[in-house]
Amino acid sequence: RGFASQTEGESRLVRVLREKFPRASAIKVVDISGGCGAMYEIHIESEEFREKRMVQQHQMVNQALSEEIKHMHGLRIFTSAPKP
Amino acid sequence: GGGSGSREAVERLVREHPVVVFMKGSPAQPLCGFSNAVVQILRLHGVEDYRAHDVLQDPDLRQGIKDYSNWPTIPQVYLNGEFVGGCDILLQMHQNGDLVEELKKLGIRSALLDAEKDQEKK
Repeated sequence: RGFASQTEGESRLVRVLREKFPRASAIKVVDISGGCGAMYEIHIESEEFREKRMVQQHQMVNQALSEEIKHMHGLRIFTSAPKP
Repeated sequence: GGGSGSREAVERLVREHPVVVFMKGSPAQPLCGFSNAVVQILRLHGVEDYRAHDVLQDPDLRQGIKDYSNWPTIPQVYLNGEFVGGCDILLQMHQNGDLVEELKKLGIRSALLDAEKDQEKK
């Protein structure tokens, strides 16, 4: 999917995540609610996740998006550290 | 607020069984795809004996469990009183073998281990 077809919600979330995860090597946000902004899928790969338990990694994303999450029905999170 | 959603009440619930799930609907009838995913994953591992709490029946609990774990969504899975995560984490644990290990720590033998053994026999 090209950059041009990103929804406003997706772009905003990518911006927030770039700010909160400056060491991220990959960030992808997909609106999985048909463009309604109700549910998102978040993929982030960052050095900041290394050696952290998955629930901790996901908590970091929850904290980063705590404002935005208030307006969502749900979200899916996939985190990883880059392959060394 | 308070009551069934208080920290004390939630603490009692998460400790009442090795496997406790806070979900929408019940294991027999989940009312949300993500809650259903948790039920199905546990079923795959042969875990049918666990405590499930339907947050749709109790708004105080629905908010209380989110405050307790500082986690914004339902379902929530607790193993031995410890918050493990939601459906995405349980799915990844299932896929990478971590869930079999965590269940073993609780003294629960995953059904998948027996399934593998059956495979080897064929």
